[in-house]
Amino acid sequence: MGINLDDYLIKEEPYYSPTHNEIQLFEAAYANRMPMMLKGPTGCGKTRFVEYMAWKLKKPLITVSCHEDMTASDLVGRYLLDAEGTVWHDGPLTLAVRHGAICYLDEIVEARQDTSVVIHSLTDDRRILSLEKKNEVIKANKDFQIVISYNPGYQSVLKDLKESTKQRFGAIDFDYPKAEDEAKIIAHESGIDTKTAAKLVQISERSRNLKGHGLDEGASTRMLIYAAQLMSKGIPLEEACEVALVLPITDDLDIRNALSSAIEACA
Amino acid sequence: MAASTTRGKYAISSHSQEHAQEPGDPDERLVFLINEGKHLFPNEYYPLWETACSKLSHAGYGALIPLSYARHSPKLVKKLNSEAAINFAATVSLAAIKVNRAAAELLPKAAVIAANELKSTQAFTSWVTTIEELIYNAPESLLAVLERTQKIVSTLTPDQFRAWVLTGLRSTGDDALRQINYFSFTDPESEKWFRHEAGDVVFTDLDRRLKLYLLSLWSLRPPIRDLPASTSPLSLRRISISNGVVRVPEVFPGFHGEQAEKIFRAGLAHVGAHLVYSTKIFPLGELKPIQVALVSLLEDARVEYLAIQTFPGLRTLWQQFHVAKPSGPKLVPLLLSRLARALIDKEYKDKDGWVQKGRDMFFDPQNDMTDPAMCRSIGVLLGNDLGQLRAQFNAKTYVVEPAYRDDNMGLWDFGDQQGQEEDSDGIFIEAMRMDREEVEDDSSSEQEQDQKENDEDEQQYHARESTDSEQRESEVAVRYPEYDYLTGSERPNWTCVLEYFPDFGDAYKIERILEKHNNLVNRITNLIQTAKVSLPERLHRQSLGESLDLDACVNAVISRRMGDIPDPRIYSTTERKHRDLSVMVLLDISNSTNDKVQASGTSVLELEIQATSLLAYAMSELNDPFAISAFCSDGKEDVHYYRIKDFNSPYDTTARAHLAGLHGKLSTRMGAAMRHATEDLVAQRTHRRLLLVISDGEPSDIDVDDQQYLVEDARKVVRSISRLGIDTFCVGLDAGGDNYLHKIFGRKNVAVIDKLEHLPEKLPLLYLRLTA
Repeated sequence: MGINLDDYLIKEEPYYSPTHNEIQLFEAAYANRMPMMLKGPTGCGKTRFVEYMAWKLKKPLITVSCHEDMTASDLVGRYLLDAEGTVWHDGPLTLAVRHGAICYLDEIVEARQDTSVVIHSLTDDRRILSLEKKNEVIKANKDFQIVISYNPGYQSVLKDLKESTKQRFGAIDFDYPKAEDEAKIIAHESGIDTKTAAKLVQISERSRNLKGHGLDEGASTRMLIYAAQLMSKGIPLEEACEVALVLPITDDLDIRNALSSAIEACA
Repeated sequence: MAASTTRGKYAISSHSQEHAQEPGDPDERLVFLINEGKHLFPNEYYPLWETACSKLSHAGYGALIPLSYARHSPKLVKKLNSEAAINFAATVSLAAIKVNRAAAELLPKAAVIAANELKSTQAFTSWVTTIEELIYNAPESLLAVLERTQKIVSTLTPDQFRAWVLTGLRSTGDDALRQINYFSFTDPESEKWFRHEAGDVVFTDLDRRLKLYLLSLWSLRPPIRDLPASTSPLSLRRISISNGVVRVPEVFPGFHGEQAEKIFRAGLAHVGAHLVYSTKIFPLGELKPIQVALVSLLEDARVEYLAIQTFPGLRTLWQQFHVAKPSGPKLVPLLLSRLARALIDKEYKDKDGWVQKGRDMFFDPQNDMTDPAMCRSIGVLLGNDLGQLRAQFNAKTYVVEPAYRDDNMGLWDFGDQQGQEEDSDGIFIEAMRMDREEVEDDSSSEQEQDQKENDEDEQQYHARESTDSEQRESEVAVRYPEYDYLTGSERPNWTCVLEYFPDFGDAYKIERILEKHNNLVNRITNLIQTAKVSLPERLHRQSLGESLDLDACVNAVISRRMGDIPDPRIYSTTERKHRDLSVMVLLDISNSTNDKVQASGTSVLELEIQATSLLAYAMSELNDPFAISAFCSDGKEDVHYYRIKDFNSPYDTTARAHLAGLHGKLSTRMGAAMRHATEDLVAQRTHRRLLLVISDGEPSDIDVDDQQYLVEDARKVVRSISRLGIDTFCVGLDAGGDNYLHKIFGRKNVAVIDKLEHLPEKLPLLYLRLTA
């Protein structure tokens, strides 16, 4: 079945600034079609990285945002009813398996554990996907690879990946980039100058110092980019930081006050 | 001329003869004054007032009191109304009986001052009520309060006045001397609370956000304390750092509202700069006081300079407080201020040769700004210059300016004259970022200090050293607010909860309890097991349910079309399948738990331990997260808290030994203990979180007379934590006394048992509530 996966190809190079050798690691993993797990806090570049790699490897990328109500059928596919009868509709995972795309399951912890085991047979030597309802067993296309993202920080004990699932993956750690790199990224994504970008990075470090003392996480790279984008449209630094860095992450008046004052000190 | 009685600048003199034309004889004067009153009272009220005056004069209080009343009360008519003036006689009388004559004599004049300021009868009546409260509860202090009427009524509303008075009564208990200290503002706590009520920003209000500020800028978490009580006036108090402990005055006089927050912030930022950059202590050596002052000033400028390199915004924060002008007399303190400004303010121009010299030397490119030694060399030279100019420097009255800067005590090694600064009160110091040990001097042998000629001047520095050297066994001390139902608000940082290490008992005792009540254990375990307290989950493929399971429906249709029998389980439903609940068990181990429970034959404490043993066993078997703590109290400054088992520690022999080792003692300051227990519970990430209090129900403490006060505080805590999404429940152990538990927790959230056997019956109540 010649389904066109062109829609899923990344046509333009996404901007990605490597922090370590993750690009080489991933290329090596992909060469072996090793399932990969990207671990790290939100907003530090995991999704951007996958897009970049998909572009670089010239493979289509199918992304699934996982959530609690997701069933196995949502991944694998289901029969739909129409006037003539029933017709099978491939789910995103099956599409990727059949036609050789990278399937990216984002925030996989959100899905229930009985859903995520669907991928087990794809992540070992067999590389098969069994569609019982259709009575079909698909052998994965040689280009197929599965990638998942995982943020262990927020979840409760009940909502973790099963050990048997974790062990099927190789993992790369993601974290906020080093200060100079982060500044470059911000400058690139927003158009502001590197000096101001460096200032924003300095500000983000202040909020990251409060992690565990009232904040779950400090400001992420994405939030800094938002602030920078506001600034590039003429909003002054302190206001842009209020909107993008302070107000969204906390309602605690003391923490807001402390962060705003720290921003003033950096300005 | 009658003697005037002046007491300091707040005094109200009480001449009894104010106008020359008044008769000299007291009786005649009274008649004269009563007659004068005719002009001021409306006809129908005049006789009533006359009677009031007459009663006072015949009551045996002496002549001065009725004279004072007769003279001043008519003024109340115009300002308020006649009734207020007349009714006030009763208050005067009360004061004469319960306090003393001097206070009663002063009262009418104070009332006029109050009425002048308060303007409405309602406000005045409120003021009078508070005065009467003082008469009953702190008679010895009435005079002090009356003498300060102008200050009080011009700063505080009647409600605020009452709140301030209540705080004084609550904190001093029945101790007349402490009361007098409070109400005469000798005790610095009094000023602090006065300003707090006045809405002034005191450090306590900003404490948390400023600590977060320091943490955010430099990852610093130094211990921060109040300045201890001292006799130096408010205006001389400065922030002080010593041995890594930061002491902050509660208030900076003259700074209000936003300005107050700014100066506290500037002060703490300055402290941060020292902690990061002041890497060495200066030995005192042979330095003269002026040189010490200069070296300190330069060090202040140096650390600020370095801090500004990293955080440019700090310049604005600090600079606003440097207001020295480049003119005026060449007095040393002024010159120092000018120099300080010259070192931070690039735009500041100053033609004075000495200031200029200081500036040039400080900013000399050859200097290594990261080395404190440069301050010493420059300071010594500049000090000599001043000496040669014969400029006078009074070390005793010198205080660092601007006010946000610290007193620099911690920079100096005074040799063996260091005061008791070591942190021997055992306050737990959370990890301060220790890249450098800034003040590590501990050569604190206490020798007499009279070797040097500059002794006297050095004395002045020592006078401000703290004497904070209480010994405590506890390692952790946390302050919490407490709610006063009379004012309807919480007093910040009012109580202090100290964690103590629990005693060891015989862990086998717990085993024996379990063995003895084996059947109970099983029943409870089963009960808890079947209680399903968690997030509802969607179950698919159900034969019954509220909604259709789409996948199953499609399958069923497919089956039918294929000629197969469709699977009828096509519904989905939500159900709570698990138990996602954390429980914090808080045990009351106050002295009253030593009482016997009639029905059981054991003590309340015994029953508590038994009940906890059963619950703990069940929860640990079922792998439910739980914690156990115990509390009792010895006044508001010493609420004992014992950790028996934490959430993330196992329920092992040690935990059981601690449980078995509990004994009943001291009192029951329930609210404070509950606040502390909540801290751990809040961190739990389960769907439900429960604070389970086990108590015999009488919140009380040795420094609280008002039985209702602690009950209301506990009730307030229950309400506050329920807003955090935390449930509370109380297992009450009936020891036969009055039961306040219903009031605190709510009728539905209390289960009273008097025999262990009743526990399994009552537990379902609890879990039922949680699953509702």
